[in-house]
Amino acid sequence: MKKSSNPTPVKKILIVGLPNTGKSHIFNNLTGEYALVANSPLTTIEIKRAHCRIGSQPYEVVDTPGLHSLYIHSEEELVVRDAIFSERPDVIIQSIDANRLKQSLTLTADLLTTGIPMVISLNAIDETARKGMWIDSDGLSRLLGIPVVESMAVYGHGTKELKEAVGRARAGKWEVQYGDIIENGLLSIESGLPEDLAYKGTVSLLMLMNDTFMTDYLKKEYGEVTWAKSEKEIDKVNRQYRGNISRVIINRRNKWIDDVTEKIIKKQKLAPREFSQGIARLSRHPVFGIPILLMVVFTMFYLVVNVANALAEWMNDLLWVPVENGISRVFPTGFLHDFLIGDYGVLSLGLANALVTVLPILSVFFIMFNTLEDIGYIPNLSVLTKRLLGKLGLTGNAIMPLVLGFGCKTMATLTTKTLRSRKERYIAIYLIAFAIPCAAQMGLNMSILGRMGTSAFVIAFSVLVFVEIVMGIILNKILKEEEEKIAFIQELPAMRLPNLKGIITKTYYRLYWFLRESLMVFVYAALVLFAIDKLGILDATKRMLSPIIEGLLGLPLAMVDAIILCLARHEVAAGLIINLIKKGQMDYVQCIVAVTITTMFIPCFANIMAMIKELGTRSALVMMLMINASAFAIAGALNWTLVALF
Amino acid sequence: MNNNKREEEEHLERLWGMREAGQDSIDILKETINGVFDPRIVDELVLEGRIELTGNRIKLTKQGEDHARKVIRAHRIAERLLYDVFGGEFETGACEFEHTVTVELIDGICTLLGHPRECPHGMPIPEGECCRRSAKTAHNVVTSLTELEIGQSARVAYMNCNADRQLHKLNGLQVRPGAIVKLHQRYPCYVIECEGAHIAMDEEIVSSVCVWSDNRQFEPVEKKALELERKNSRGWGRLIFGRKKLSNS
Repeated sequence: MKKSSNPTPVKKILIVGLPNTGKSHIFNNLTGEYALVANSPLTTIEIKRAHCRIGSQPYEVVDTPGLHSLYIHSEEELVVRDAIFSERPDVIIQSIDANRLKQSLTLTADLLTTGIPMVISLNAIDETARKGMWIDSDGLSRLLGIPVVESMAVYGHGTKELKEAVGRARAGKWEVQYGDIIENGLLSIESGLPEDLAYKGTVSLLMLMNDTFMTDYLKKEYGEVTWAKSEKEIDKVNRQYRGNISRVIINRRNKWIDDVTEKIIKKQKLAPREFSQGIARLSRHPVFGIPILLMVVFTMFYLVVNVANALAEWMNDLLWVPVENGISRVFPTGFLHDFLIGDYGVLSLGLANALVTVLPILSVFFIMFNTLEDIGYIPNLSVLTKRLLGKLGLTGNAIMPLVLGFGCKTMATLTTKTLRSRKERYIAIYLIAFAIPCAAQMGLNMSILGRMGTSAFVIAFSVLVFVEIVMGIILNKILKEEEEKIAFIQELPAMRLPNLKGIITKTYYRLYWFLRESLMVFVYAALVLFAIDKLGILDATKRMLSPIIEGLLGLPLAMVDAIILCLARHEVAAGLIINLIKKGQMDYVQCIVAVTITTMFIPCFANIMAMIKELGTRSALVMMLMINASAFAIAGALNWTLVALF
Repeated sequence: MNNNKREEEEHLERLWGMREAGQDSIDILKETINGVFDPRIVDELVLEGRIELTGNRIKLTKQGEDHARKVIRAHRIAERLLYDVFGGEFETGACEFEHTVTVELIDGICTLLGHPRECPHGMPIPEGECCRRSAKTAHNVVTSLTELEIGQSARVAYMNCNADRQLHKLNGLQVRPGAIVKLHQRYPCYVIECEGAHIAMDEEIVSSVCVWSDNRQFEPVEKKALELERKNSRGWGRLIFGRKKLSNS
């Protein structure tokens, strides 16, 4: 955990702050890298690093997940605190959302006690001005004794000033006193701490506040003897002080926060009603919330169907058809024809599938999805789904991971770290892996089903929602209850107008990442299918699977290819299904069944790795087997039901 | 904005006393004020439209009178409480008390004491809502946040929860005694607003937040004062134009 002192003169900047305060924006602005940003908590879940130069001084910049205070309660906050304690940064930039300055000051107080040089970046200063709230940032700077920089990190404004302020960073003023008994107690605890431990004052304060993570760390790193010594001191203070020490410490700090905010925040008596907050309120309203959600979903659906599909067709005619015709003329038949543009051709199933079929659909979908993320709509869904999820054995804290699953299932699986109960974590990971389509899958599903009409889309998604709920209820019944319930407290991001540049940048990066990660996968998948086809293995497999694919699922045998491709990437399979539709090999019912099975079937490779990381290999594999078995059973039942109906 | 709340209230209080004695000269105010006479405070009160100053004459406006009535009532009720219940020295305690208590708490105490009409000095105690309704039972001055109406704001009195983790998390979100919280919705999940941030939470947590209550449910309605009738007729207006915001300091 501890690192020996670094001989290079690179200085370290740690960006910390409350969730959703713009830390990753600052990181991007300082380093020119791109870390995913969104108007939502839990966007950054792992520590990120990059290098940059300010003047002649090289810096290593570290972006961290959200942290409320140094007095922590959960593993994911521990990661950030560990980063502060073990990395021993030269400068801390505290990212503060100016709208929530008061909430951020608890962390500021904690950070001031460490004595690490600090700078505060006061983000979203444009919004407070609009709200009729005025923050005296110079006053704040004087009170805290550290530079405070106003910024609009979303637009990159204030970056120059921030860079300049990093050079002026210094340890701030912290003068709050807790009275003689506590102060003397802190000193005697501190004097008993090991020499090489960093930020002893802060550590002793945390120990006095009974921070179990801190005491565990001390026991582990320095042995029981050291701990026993500290414990004796802590006991002594507790005996002397009659009353709850943590409460007293917290109250003193609250008083300090009140004093600071009273001096530096001025509010207009009559502030304009915020339009965006009205929308936010409606979007989680018990009556209007559901129609708004449906409207959002159907708007996306129609845009994918009408814009993305048309775009894909157009690109196909413009870019792919001439190539295909050209190659056909040169190699009318034979091995090379098949290798390049046959059913499993490297160019047809590989490149053209990725670039001409899948990419346009994803571009349109990501633009819309990123807009929703930018507005901050998605976390508000946690309010609407709260009661429903409660029935599935999920307390509130599992809501955000599930909702985030609609963005990226891998990230969502990793955020289940925030869940304390193993049962809850298991259910959440299962449900994320099962019937929730990630953004890419959602876009492609919409594109496929759109070709069959709106009713196909409605049926397929109703089925997915239904099986997800049933599966949740079943898991909740089977798994035994354990541990205490943890109550749900979730801050909702304020809705804001989308920022076009930000959305375009994000869409660009999402597409870039998609191509970087999966373009070669498309090509390799085509190669593998081509090889096993030529070797006759594919036909044998198809014959073997035909009772399941044709009999049970009622799908054309060519869907075996798609299911195999799902193992590589769901997007590849979607491209193939679209081709089958174009060739007229899929009908209405088959499309619905195909979409439900590919959505439920084995999640993508990255998601599997995340599952293994969170659950352990055995549990993760068992879960995957169960998911796949139930996927086939459900798709089969769906097929027979639909055939009987239509 | 309310840095001078205490001093302002002292001035208003004295003006009320002067009115009772039929005095309206600024010189008398200067001489008899409890504490230090401060012309800046007078200026401020004039600006805020709470007093009127014509030449040497000084007078409470309707707005100032309403404010003064509350302070006087609190002061005299507090005197009664200290005098009747504890006996002896009551003046100093009451002086501190009047600036910090809520209307609801005063109504509660007034009801407990059986709606006293006079303070121990023999000065009249202004009537409160509870007296007009001759309430027989004191209602809870502190209720759970879940009891608020949608869109209503209230000041947090205390947190009724002993789980340190939750308390600390709420404290981090500035949901703590003294904070103003607003209830936004109950279904499908509670959403409250505090310090500009919206927070979704379980009912269990919301119910542990105790706030100074504002809904006056005095039970037996026997006498109906005219003033009250007029107040009620404004109900429709309130329904359409929304509830007036609680002023927060």
